[in-house]
Amino acid sequence: MSRSRRILGVVGQHSVLIGLAIIFALPFFFMLLQSVTPIEEAKTSVLWPSTFDFGNYGEVFDRVPLARYIRNTLLVCTLVVTGTIVSCVPVAYAFSHMRWRGRGVVFVLVLSTMMLPFQVLFVSQYEIFSNLGWLNTVLPLVVPSFFANAFSIFLLRQFFLTLPTETIDAARADGASEFQILTRIVVPLAKPGIMAVAIFQFLFAWSDFFGPNIYLSDEANLTLAVGLVRLNTAAARLGESNLTMAASVIFVMPLVVIFFFAQKIFIEGVTLTGTKG
Amino acid sequence: MADTVAHPGASTELEGDRGARHVSVAIGASARSVPPERLRAKRRADRKRRLTVLVLLSPWIIGFLVFTLYPILNSFYWSFTVKRYGSPARWVGLANYELLFTNDDLLTALGNTAYLAIFGMPVRIGIALLAAALLVRKRRGNGVYRTMFYVPSIVPAVASGALFFFLLKEGGPLSGLFGLFGADAPLWFRDPQWAKPALIMVTTWALGDLMLILLAGLVDIPRSLYEAAELDGAGRWAKFRHVTLPMISPVIFFIVLTGLIGVLQSFDQAYVFSQGVREGRLTGEPGGSLLTYAMLQLRLFQDGRIGFASAMAWVMFLITFVITMVMLATRRKWVHTATEEWA
Repeated sequence: MSRSRRILGVVGQHSVLIGLAIIFALPFFFMLLQSVTPIEEAKTSVLWPSTFDFGNYGEVFDRVPLARYIRNTLLVCTLVVTGTIVSCVPVAYAFSHMRWRGRGVVFVLVLSTMMLPFQVLFVSQYEIFSNLGWLNTVLPLVVPSFFANAFSIFLLRQFFLTLPTETIDAARADGASEFQILTRIVVPLAKPGIMAVAIFQFLFAWSDFFGPNIYLSDEANLTLAVGLVRLNTAAARLGESNLTMAASVIFVMPLVVIFFFAQKIFIEGVTLTGTKG
Repeated sequence: MADTVAHPGASTELEGDRGARHVSVAIGASARSVPPERLRAKRRADRKRRLTVLVLLSPWIIGFLVFTLYPILNSFYWSFTVKRYGSPARWVGLANYELLFTNDDLLTALGNTAYLAIFGMPVRIGIALLAAALLVRKRRGNGVYRTMFYVPSIVPAVASGALFFFLLKEGGPLSGLFGLFGADAPLWFRDPQWAKPALIMVTTWALGDLMLILLAGLVDIPRSLYEAAELDGAGRWAKFRHVTLPMISPVIFFIVLTGLIGVLQSFDQAYVFSQGVREGRLTGEPGGSLLTYAMLQLRLFQDGRIGFASAMAWVMFLITFVITMVMLATRRKWVHTATEEWA
């Protein structure tokens, strides 16, 4: 291939990349722009606002109990992450560094529950939580996470399998109990993997709409995801998309920040779920 | 999965994978001359370990019984009954299933789901593969592009739904862009013809996960294959067609399989686009063009038709199961398997 053709190829590839990058970034750009568009201009759909009105962000807090939503969402996220880690780490340990009869079969059973559509479960789960009197509380959203989920077990197991068996076998030979091995060797060594699972669960709990939407009803109990959808519906009638966008920015920004701080963990986690399945 | 399923006769030490081999050599040497008291101690240790495993697994076991197995059996039973919350179920046999398949809504929802799969998935996978292929070679600035393509996929579905609802609405920025080209902007959320493309647009924006998975697959392709193809005089397209595509096919297979299951459950964005609930019912507007399977089931559930909703969940489960089994059974047709033969 001649030199000029190669340069042309590189230029071509870069133009495609730049074009794609612009298309992917454009929605974010309009989201931020609309979130600071003054209310009168938001209604008349001007593309570029005459002034930036940061007051929209304050207005959203006045219009809906956004502080409550944030508090509720953080509560759910914290409990879901704690529950998942506390329950899944021991299970994943038993599936990675202990040998016992039937391990393979039981692990297949764990994985097969990932295939179940949640629709098969929620109608009946709703009755369980309703009988317990848990409707309109966060309990239906957080309690199940204390009983391990297949996805996190799978991910943690993949991380645990990369740990050196020699260290664990040596500790076992020295008479360490399985609980000691788990807490003193496996957990400290697998911190990045545990972090990855914690981040994924946080993201899931933060974004979840379906669960909170069926279990929570009182305005004061809603999470951000449900609050945003209700605001969007209300604001669409009034043409106040600037408020919806300001609320969206508040909703999305923490996730983007987490992503930038934990980019490496993130990417490894996603890749692991996709290729080693 | 690397686990070997233990055969009944094997001692626990000999089971399993990873590192088991060098342990077993040491044990195998001494096992023949173990005195009886040592054997008893070993049995005690085995029992203790079984108990330990049970304790470690207990969160999953309880969760599986209470939040998975019981609800499944329950909803299976309910699917043959007429049932409302707070009142006992009344057996009606297959009536729910018969009603389901004579119900227009179900066909609408299934049709919409199929539309999203048939038109949405190739677009998403195609663009994700293009992006991944451009990023696979190490070059300056790739990290920035990768981040830009990935970040939309961490945006929660309801937020991206609200965002595109704003972008595409009458007088929204994207309509403005259409205006620049002198075209009339379609009425995305009023015209049934355009509502589903709008849905595909949002999900395509969030293709970051796919791109990362494909990228990891592309990185794993040995350079030597490309070099060999170049020696044979293959051009860019030929290399893509005869090296990249076959080598990446297992990853694409995985994406298509999980994607199909995902489409069947798609809910959030359609809910936002159709403005959720109108007069207490999920609408799937405009003209039912956004009514997905998951939305329809939630509607039945909210109407208090629990037996009906359960029947629908089971139909959904069967569809998912059949798709998975058919795809796994025909895997060899879609996937190039040379790598597995080498391994």
